[in-house]
Amino acid sequence: MKILIIEDETELANSITTYLSGENYVCELAQDFGQAIDKINLYQYDCILLDLMLPGGDGMQILEELKSQNKQDGVIIISAKNSLDDKIKGLQIGADDYLAKPFHLSELSARVFSVIRRKQFTNSNIVQQNEIEINILAKTVLVNDIPVILTKREYALLLYFIGNQNRVISKNALAEHLSGDIADMLDNHDFVYSHIKNLKKKLVDAGCTNYLKSVYGTGYKWEI
Amino acid sequence: MNRLLNKSLKPLVIYALIVLLLSIPAYYFIVDRIWANELDKHQYVLRDKIESRLAKLNLPDSTVEQTINIWNEIEPGFVLTPHATDSVIKDSVYSTIRFDEFLQDREQFRSLSTSVKINNKHYRLLIETNMEEADETVMAISLAAIFFFLLLLGGFIFLIKRLSVKIWHPFYVTLDVLKSFKLNSDQQVSFEPTAIQEFNELNDSLSKLLKRNTDSYKQQKEFTENVSHELQTPLAIVQSKLDLLTQHVALTDEQYALVESANTALTRVSRINKNLLLLARIENRQFVAHEQIDLSVLLEEMTDIFAEHLERKQLILEKRIQPAITIEANEVLIEVLINNLLINAIRHNSMEGQIIAELSQHELRVINTGSHPLEKEKLFRRFSTTSTVTPGSGLGLAIIKQICDLYQWQVSYNFTDNQHIFIISF
Repeated sequence: MKILIIEDETELANSITTYLSGENYVCELAQDFGQAIDKINLYQYDCILLDLMLPGGDGMQILEELKSQNKQDGVIIISAKNSLDDKIKGLQIGADDYLAKPFHLSELSARVFSVIRRKQFTNSNIVQQNEIEINILAKTVLVNDIPVILTKREYALLLYFIGNQNRVISKNALAEHLSGDIADMLDNHDFVYSHIKNLKKKLVDAGCTNYLKSVYGTGYKWEI
Repeated sequence: MNRLLNKSLKPLVIYALIVLLLSIPAYYFIVDRIWANELDKHQYVLRDKIESRLAKLNLPDSTVEQTINIWNEIEPGFVLTPHATDSVIKDSVYSTIRFDEFLQDREQFRSLSTSVKINNKHYRLLIETNMEEADETVMAISLAAIFFFLLLLGGFIFLIKRLSVKIWHPFYVTLDVLKSFKLNSDQQVSFEPTAIQEFNELNDSLSKLLKRNTDSYKQQKEFTENVSHELQTPLAIVQSKLDLLTQHVALTDEQYALVESANTALTRVSRINKNLLLLARIENRQFVAHEQIDLSVLLEEMTDIFAEHLERKQLILEKRIQPAITIEANEVLIEVLINNLLINAIRHNSMEGQIIAELSQHELRVINTGSHPLEKEKLFRRFSTTSTVTPGSGLGLAIIKQICDLYQWQVSYNFTDNQHIFIISF
């Protein structure tokens, strides 16, 4: 799957490329407004990561260009501005998600995963992984064709892990994913542990192989 | 405290009082001198008249003696006594106070004791004239002085009230402008030109001073926002590099722990930065969108979200939420406000403590168990509450205050019965 990274900070773009390439995405890079416009005119991407502040123009215009060409590329805005107005405007114009800098690469990867699965209108709204089947739109999970009832938090965690397979994910990143600023400010990520424990138990009870492993004491990894 | 106008009145009144008090003995002395002088003159004239008139009559000695005797009997104030010797005694003038048989009172007299020559015979003549007594004179002068003092006092008050109020009017106008001045409001300060040079200079200097203040305040606000913006990208780079490092296959447990420690610190920096940016945005009034918010529903929802964070400290959350309480505000800010209040109540709670979220018509209270009171004065200042025990961003309460200021709500803190109580009155 192809991803276009529109980001003028080379170092950040490199990190994103490195991380996402490991997830079997093909990444292309555009470092200014002109390059970005050229690329979106020429190619089709599954997902575009868009920085709003670019040399040569406003990222919002790229979004408008995509909209006017009726392109179906998924767009995730990655912005340093973290301004609500931009978020609302971006989502109104047609962005699929908005991620404020700084972010965890695992968070970005999980969002890319979701956006691509949501965008596809064939039956690939269904994520199949061995005995697990997740319907992204209906938000249901089947293990060996038997439904497993997950809470909102457990479902979010499962999707996060599937979107970051074979990656070490820190408890911090998971806490931030689940509770955003709250977890951030409470400096207490124990609640993550209980959600993970419950998720693991429900999956294993339904006859699923235990893919979720603890690593380095405080990290987690979804091993396939 | 004294008002300016009262200050200028007081010394004037005291001065007037001193002058008038000093005038009492002065007036007395002058009046007494004049009177004594006049009486003395008068008495010498009387003596001369007596002497010349008796001489003109050319009476024989026996008749003179008879006449003098009769005179001494009936004429008050004159005593003529024949001299023992022929030598002339010196005149003497004096005042005396003695009991007067006729008036039945102690009276003051001015006396002249002198010699007259009748038919070549020397007589001693004593003329006494009743004069006003000192105490009566002093009394009369004092009454006059008091009357004039009261007249001056009344006049001063009237004049100062009238004149000074008029003169100082521009000063009070300037004072009112300064009182209503707020550094964080965008309102321009302008002073009316006055007819008095000093006030114009004062207003000019104040205008310049205020402009410098508002300018630097504005710059500081913009600076905070710009810095926070600029920091986001390098923070994102560091974060991404740390994330990549954790994916390294050959990482030892120890190395992973090092990366995680760095990650935790980085999260804290990001949080401080985010909060600074939020503060700057609120200050720069970038949250313009207003809507009707059902605070009751919002508070219910948010307390539910927090439920999973209560477990570790085994906290009990009690809700006393009146239904259908609505406010007009920006929803994002209200969420931040409630968020920060609740986070605070969890962070600074004791084990198995309690949190009470109470919402009534015009008040939101968040109460939580605590061991010792916080410093009221410093509480809402930036970075004043950071401690090493519970390292927060140090901005949570500052943000609460800023949001309340924006909507002109009151936020207060109390500590009673081992409970921290935060009250927001809207």
